[in-house]
Amino acid sequence: MSAVAPARRHRLATPRRARVSADERDGRPRVVDGRLVDAVRESWLVEDRWWSEAPLRRRYWEVVTTCGRNVVVYHDLREGGWYRQR
Amino acid sequence: MVVCVLIPRFQLTVAAGDREELLGQPAALAPEPGREQRVGEVSLAAEAFGVRPGMPLGEALARCPQLALVPPDPAGVADAWERLIVRLESIGAAVEPERPGLACFEAQGLVRLHGGTLDHVLAAARTALRTPARLGAGPSRFCALAAATRARARRPQVVLGDERAARDYLAPLPVALLRGRAATAALPEPLGRLGIETLGELAALPRAAVADRFGEPGLLAWELAQGRDGALRPREVPERVEEELELPEAMSGVQLERALGLLVDRLLARRERRGRSLRAVVLAATLVEGGTWREQVPFREALADPLRMRLALAARLALLPAPAERLRLAAVRFGPVASDQRSLLEQAAAERKARLREGVRQARAAAGPDAALRVLAVDPDSRVPERRAVLTPFE
Repeated sequence: MSAVAPARRHRLATPRRARVSADERDGRPRVVDGRLVDAVRESWLVEDRWWSEAPLRRRYWEVVTTCGRNVVVYHDLREGGWYRQR
Repeated sequence: MVVCVLIPRFQLTVAAGDREELLGQPAALAPEPGREQRVGEVSLAAEAFGVRPGMPLGEALARCPQLALVPPDPAGVADAWERLIVRLESIGAAVEPERPGLACFEAQGLVRLHGGTLDHVLAAARTALRTPARLGAGPSRFCALAAATRARARRPQVVLGDERAARDYLAPLPVALLRGRAATAALPEPLGRLGIETLGELAALPRAAVADRFGEPGLLAWELAQGRDGALRPREVPERVEEELELPEAMSGVQLERALGLLVDRLLARRERRGRSLRAVVLAATLVEGGTWREQVPFREALADPLRMRLALAARLALLPAPAERLRLAAVRFGPVASDQRSLLEQAAAERKARLREGVRQARAAAGPDAALRVLAVDPDSRVPERRAVLTPFE
C-alpha cells in the first residue's frame, strides 16, 4: 500500500517574538520593538483550553506607536515572554 | 554531404551600409538598445586589438579606445538575410539558416539537378547568391562549417569521405571554431586555459571527463570534434505578408499606437491572409536617430482580432528605444482559419476558471507545490488568532 503524503498546511497569524518593555505596575507596554508606545487602544484577556494539557493565558494589548503604527502584542501569562500578532 | 554558406561579418556589413570604409578600421556592432551591453560582430582590424564578438562593451573599448560603434540594423539584416536564403532555395536547396551569415543545406538531392557533381551544386549556389560567400562541404554540418571558415571567397573547400574523414580534417583545427555554434560558443576559452588548443586534442579526451568538466555543451563539442553532428533541420518556406507605414513625423507614445492600429487593420485586410488567423508577427521600426529595431511577437493563441493584436503589440512598442519614422508589421506564421471565433453561449466563468487552473499549474511547475495556496478558514470565530485560518494548496 502506498503512503499518501499529508497535505501541507501553513498557519496564518502565528505569533512572533517581540521586544517589549512594560510598566511594572499594570503590565502596559511602553516600548515595542524599539518604538515608544503613544497610546493603548484596547486590552483583553484570552484564557482557553484550560481543561487540556496545554492551557493558554494571554493578555493582549492593541497599541499605537509613535510612528503611527497599530500593533497587537500579547504577554504570555503562563510561560512569560512577549509576542507580536496580527 | 552538407554544404555550408558562410558570409563573415554579415550583420556588421549590412549595418555599415554605404560606409564601407568603416569595415577597414576597428569597428563593432553596438549593443541593441535595451539589451545586454555586449558588442556584436567586429571588423578584422578590431579583432587585431583582441576585440571579440559578444565581449562586454566596456572591455572592448578598453582594448581598443578608437573602436567605432556601428548602430545595429536588425530589420535590415533580417531582410537582407531573407533575400539570400530565398536565392539559395531557388536552386532547390532545403536550407537551415543558423544565424544571419551562416546557413547549411544538404547537397545530396541537388547533385542530379545541377550537372551531377558537387562542384556544380556549389557553383549553382554561388551564382544564385550573387554576393561573395565562403562555401564549404563536408560529411557533417560542423565539418562543413570548418571547411567554409578555411575556404577562400572563390575557392570552396570540400571534405570528402565519412565521419572518420571529418574527424581527421578537424583534428589540426583550433577549438576556436566551436564559437560558430551558440551552444558551444563559451568553450574555447576554458579549453585554452586547460591547454587544449585543437579539436584533435579535444576528441582524444575521454568522453566522461569532458562531460564531467563541461556538462552538456562539452559533450556536444566532443561529438563535433569526433566528426559527428545532428541532422539538418531545414526551415519551412515562410509566407510573408507585410504592411509598412511611413510616418509623417517621428512618432512615439499614443500617436505611434494609433499608427500601429492602422497597420494591424491593413494587415488583417490583406487578401493573402485568406481568413487565416495569425500565430506570430514581426514588428519593426526605423528609428529617427538611425538604425532599426525589430521584435518577433508570437501570440499566445492564433488570433485575428484586431483589438487583441493591438493589446499584445502595444506592450512591445513601448520598448522602442527612440521615436520611429517608419513602422512595419509582417505576419510570419499563420494559424487555422478564424480560430478565435467566440462561442455563441456565454462561458466566461468556465473559461476564467480554466485559465486560473492553467495559471496555477504553470506557477507550480515553475516554483514548486507551494506556489499557489489559498486561505482556508478553519475556526473563524476563535479568540486565538493563529487558529482562525490556514494556508492550504489551491485545488
